[in-house]
Amino acid sequence: MEEAKVGVFLSDCGGQISKILDFEALAEFVKKVDGVTFVARSSEFWRGQGLKTITDAVKSGKINRAVVAENVPKISEIVIAKAVEEAGLNPHLVEVLDLKDHCAWPHRDAPSEATEKAKAMLLAAIEKAKLLEPIDKAEFPTVKSVLVIGGGIAGMQAAEDLAEMGFQVHLIEKEPFLGGLAAKAGRFFPTDDCAICIQSPTVDLKTVTHTSRKCVYRSGFSEIPNLNVLTNSKVVKVEGVPGNFKVTLERRPRYVSEEKCVACDLCTSVCPVEVPDDYNAKLSTRKAIYVNKPLVYPAAYVIDEKACKFHECAKCVEVCPAKAIDLDQKTEYVTLNVGSIIVATGFREYNPNVIKEYHYSEYPDVITHLELARMLDAFGPTKGMIVKPSNGKPAKRIVFVQCVGSRDRRWNPYCSSICCMISLKHATLIKTAHPDADVTICYIDIRTTGREHEYYYEKARELGVKFVKGRPAEILHDPATNTLIVEVEDELLRRLLELETDLVVLATAMVPSEETKKLAEILGLELDQDGFFKEYNAKLRPTETKRRGIFLCGGATFPKDAPTASLHAHSAAVKAAKFIMQGKIVKDLKTAVVNEDYCGNCQFCPVTCPYGAITLEPKENKHFVAHVSELLCEGCGICVGTCPVGAIELRHLKQDQIAAQMRALLSVNGTPKPLILAISCSECGNAAVDSSGMAMMNYPANVRVLRVPCTGIVQVRHILEAFKAGAQGVMVVGCKPDGCHYEVGSQKAKKKVELAKMLLNAYGIEPERLEMFNLVYIEGDKFAEAAKNMTEKVEKLGVLQLA
Amino acid sequence: MTSYALFLGCTIPARQPHYELSARKALTKLGIELVDLENMTCCAPPPLQSIDLETSLAIAAYNICLAEEADLNIVTLCTGCFESLAIANHLLKEKPELKAKVNKILANAGKEFKGNKEVRHFLQVLMNDVGVNRIKMDVVKPLDKLKVAAFSGCHLIRPSELLHFDDPERPRIFDTLIEALGAKSIPYKNKLRCCGGLLRGYADDVALAIARDKIINAHNAGADCISTLCPFCFLTLDLGQMLIKTTYKEEYNMPIIHYAELLSLSLGVDPKELALEFHKVKTDTVLEKIS
Amino acid sequence: MTEEKLEKPTIEDFSREITRMLGGETITYCYQCGTCASSCPVAKTTDRYNPRQIIRMALLGQRYEVLNGDSIWLCASCYNCQERCPQKVEIADVIYALRNMAIREGNIPALYAEFANGLMSEGRLAPISKFLEKKRSDYGLPPLKPTGVEALKKIFSATGFDKIFFKKGEQP
Repeated sequence: MEEAKVGVFLSDCGGQISKILDFEALAEFVKKVDGVTFVARSSEFWRGQGLKTITDAVKSGKINRAVVAENVPKISEIVIAKAVEEAGLNPHLVEVLDLKDHCAWPHRDAPSEATEKAKAMLLAAIEKAKLLEPIDKAEFPTVKSVLVIGGGIAGMQAAEDLAEMGFQVHLIEKEPFLGGLAAKAGRFFPTDDCAICIQSPTVDLKTVTHTSRKCVYRSGFSEIPNLNVLTNSKVVKVEGVPGNFKVTLERRPRYVSEEKCVACDLCTSVCPVEVPDDYNAKLSTRKAIYVNKPLVYPAAYVIDEKACKFHECAKCVEVCPAKAIDLDQKTEYVTLNVGSIIVATGFREYNPNVIKEYHYSEYPDVITHLELARMLDAFGPTKGMIVKPSNGKPAKRIVFVQCVGSRDRRWNPYCSSICCMISLKHATLIKTAHPDADVTICYIDIRTTGREHEYYYEKARELGVKFVKGRPAEILHDPATNTLIVEVEDELLRRLLELETDLVVLATAMVPSEETKKLAEILGLELDQDGFFKEYNAKLRPTETKRRGIFLCGGATFPKDAPTASLHAHSAAVKAAKFIMQGKIVKDLKTAVVNEDYCGNCQFCPVTCPYGAITLEPKENKHFVAHVSELLCEGCGICVGTCPVGAIELRHLKQDQIAAQMRALLSVNGTPKPLILAISCSECGNAAVDSSGMAMMNYPANVRVLRVPCTGIVQVRHILEAFKAGAQGVMVVGCKPDGCHYEVGSQKAKKKVELAKMLLNAYGIEPERLEMFNLVYIEGDKFAEAAKNMTEKVEKLGVLQLA
Repeated sequence: MTSYALFLGCTIPARQPHYELSARKALTKLGIELVDLENMTCCAPPPLQSIDLETSLAIAAYNICLAEEADLNIVTLCTGCFESLAIANHLLKEKPELKAKVNKILANAGKEFKGNKEVRHFLQVLMNDVGVNRIKMDVVKPLDKLKVAAFSGCHLIRPSELLHFDDPERPRIFDTLIEALGAKSIPYKNKLRCCGGLLRGYADDVALAIARDKIINAHNAGADCISTLCPFCFLTLDLGQMLIKTTYKEEYNMPIIHYAELLSLSLGVDPKELALEFHKVKTDTVLEKIS
Repeated sequence: MTEEKLEKPTIEDFSREITRMLGGETITYCYQCGTCASSCPVAKTTDRYNPRQIIRMALLGQRYEVLNGDSIWLCASCYNCQERCPQKVEIADVIYALRNMAIREGNIPALYAEFANGLMSEGRLAPISKFLEKKRSDYGLPPLKPTGVEALKKIFSATGFDKIFFKKGEQP
């Protein structure tokens, strides 16, 4: 490698910080440092003439490394890197430091001490710069196709978006028909419009008109180009890498050809088997060959394997005019190659049987909301009539019970969030159609937080729906009158009521779909404490997951109403598209590299890596060595902190660079106080240091900050080396333990610090000289306070004598 | 032969020898040996728990220690005793900190709770050690004309998280054992609801109103008798009917019979040996249906 | 308003005091759904008792009313509320904790004092009458074994149980 020629560029922030720091002295200091070939001073270097000074120096060949003391370092780093790259220098040969927020501002009351610290900071940057090596970019191909798992409202909307954008979309559904829970719901709040239009494209594909939505009568989901719908299917295996997944599906037989079936209904007229209809909450029956109520996709019949007598009967085969039925169809395994995956597996009603005092399975007139929704559907089992399932007679008195199995520490502690609105919707639908009906809602709290939702509550009261604040203790049945009795306290009256009623509707908890856990294992995704798929960051990455290329939407992450599920679906579609649209992922190889000669196959790093980026690859002689996926590696360095033999390093922060910076930072003191090294992560830790400076907090200049990507990189030996290099105290400053940007780094660092304290103790060094701090950006005051306290503590302990 | 330390408690020896007699006779016939230990005390039931939970826990633990020293599991007849002892046993086994705290207290009395014994109710011994089949085989006078309103009492089944006795909303064990005798365990309104017994002496009017409800519900369902497992429930419902007569001017004549008595009778024990005169409501109507 | 109430008025104080008691740990889980009240056989019978309301008052810091009122003594300890509480508030145990506190303030119903005295002198709550002893032997029941009342006394002095009543004796 050619000899390092370092250019040092000192920004005085328009004279602001040169009022505190002696810039002449700094310039004189750096000029004398070995390897420095160019020094310039300006009011700013990240744009305009200042930036040109840097690029000119690069172009002229005067420098091949740049150290830039610039403010707003987070932005300037990016801008300067881009500029030097255009000027012909690898962008990773630039080191930016912040003399304002890390030095001038916090130490403004002691200018000469600050100047001495600035010298140490500049020296550290120069020494690091001299050791910097170029880092290349790599490209990883992405397949421009997407798998959407789950054909409910969210999955269908996401699939439509992506197909319209021109991606090949595979939409799979475990049931024989699309539509999911939404299609069963009959009507949606807050518009009361019918649910089945979710099964049509939102845009008329021929005319591309801009109406609010298209009725399923006029436009079928099947017409969307680039869309491959696979029903009766589920994912059984996922291999490959983000952008290039190989997915294996298991496709259960339909026994009816989707292409040939003309939906003439002749088959059902001859089918002799009649079973309770699951789709209609078992309130009616259907044949063994069937189709859910009209306007479903695919518009082809299906045979219920559990009910059909197959070749014993085969009457449907004989009668089918289209020859569409094949009783010998077998389960197929389909392999797909996709770039992104969207999980839209939704949620389901919780089985309220566990709350035995409500007697759900014992009393037929105790039903759930979905069962009521089927009744309210004109296509449903009762043709829209509300009846007592026990005898088929009209139900005139209806009691809704909220929070059944939700907000319940025994079963599901969370609020399912949509059940209040479902009850209000059903209550108003009933009262509108039957003003004489006696409708009561027993609630703990009515939660109508969405847009227009409170108007629903108002409307329900106007229509005469009664509200009882109180969760019922028990539902009793009087066999003499076939009446249900709901025992509840009206808390506002402080009176115990026994509500006589024909029908009780349980607003059950909404829980993750069946097999959510299994799918999570297959996809390598995490679930939250309630069993739903966990997003990467609820605030900023609500539809992304920790696994690149896999996205979430709809009720798979938490119960959602239709509008929210739609929004979520569009978000996931954009994220999935963004991930693959270039046909490749281009990334800087700021990743970990393994020195295979040292790797001892201890298996620590594959377990520790939060991204699953490290695997053990076989070498000759049955020897295994760690292998880092350059695509998956995020460059945090947690593996470096874990490796017991130092076989892994980061390309962008090698061990010699850490050591050189440490020595330089501790080489000059210039204050009467003991030197303290603060090793901070580049995320919340450094942000807290930045913000303490920005907010003009004061702390002494003896505290020197060494930035690493994540505190997870810290090894015990770094701490010991810091003391050896002259530190009298060491601070490790990272993110909050549960807020680490690299998931586990902060927790790993905490353990490392505890271990180091024990070692220090064994060496006769006071363990109090080492502390870990977990801060966030807005806690600049806490960093300043910690720096002050640490200094005072170390001062009291006296000068450290190393044997 | 399976042996148990018999924990009698306070109410049974003081007031209900008929329960003790029938239980001893039935268990002996069914091959269970009962050992009477010295130095057992009150179990520390709800009234004492109301005064001081910690002391109550220590008293319960003290009694369990006696069984531990004798290397015997405990059987109780009273469901109140069952609850006090079983909860203490469960809590002290599950919570090491609580155990340490209680053992510090017990040390003053020269005891240490180890947690190696079980506390069982009479009914559990019948269900698990004797078994329904053995009972069915040994029945000589089947009670097949008898409609029984089973009332196990609260403290046998609740709090279920600590007692693990039966399903708290759908208990089956008691009904199964009643039906093992050939009788019919009939459904009745509010079957699992409390008898109000613990309010006697503090709010007699409330206690009586609750007890009356129970009697009426069993009566309306056509029960020949209410079968109990707990001396407090027995007292509340049996003596209670005398008070209902004076307070409400109502007479139900609903015999209250401990399950142990029904069991003894069906196993062929002579009613004369069972001290049935301790019943306020006469049991003749029931005895007639057994002969 | 009484003097005592003004002395200890804060919400935090009383609910924290309860959560520190054996049995009282779960009181703050309560979200006032009323399942306890509608499960309660006593509340169905009399207006004098409502478990939800007791917890509500306790969480609002109404220490004096709760500990000196009649209500906490009306729980029949049937545990139906506790069984069904969706927030796993150990309601019956909370009532015990409140009673324990009330008794330490000198508020003890006569019946309970009687039980305690029986326990402290005999080792059992109810004395055995001569009549019963004779009946027992007539029917062939074995003689009752002596109780471990001496051991209990040591337990009482270790927990301070005996002093609760000593204090009461001093009261007018």
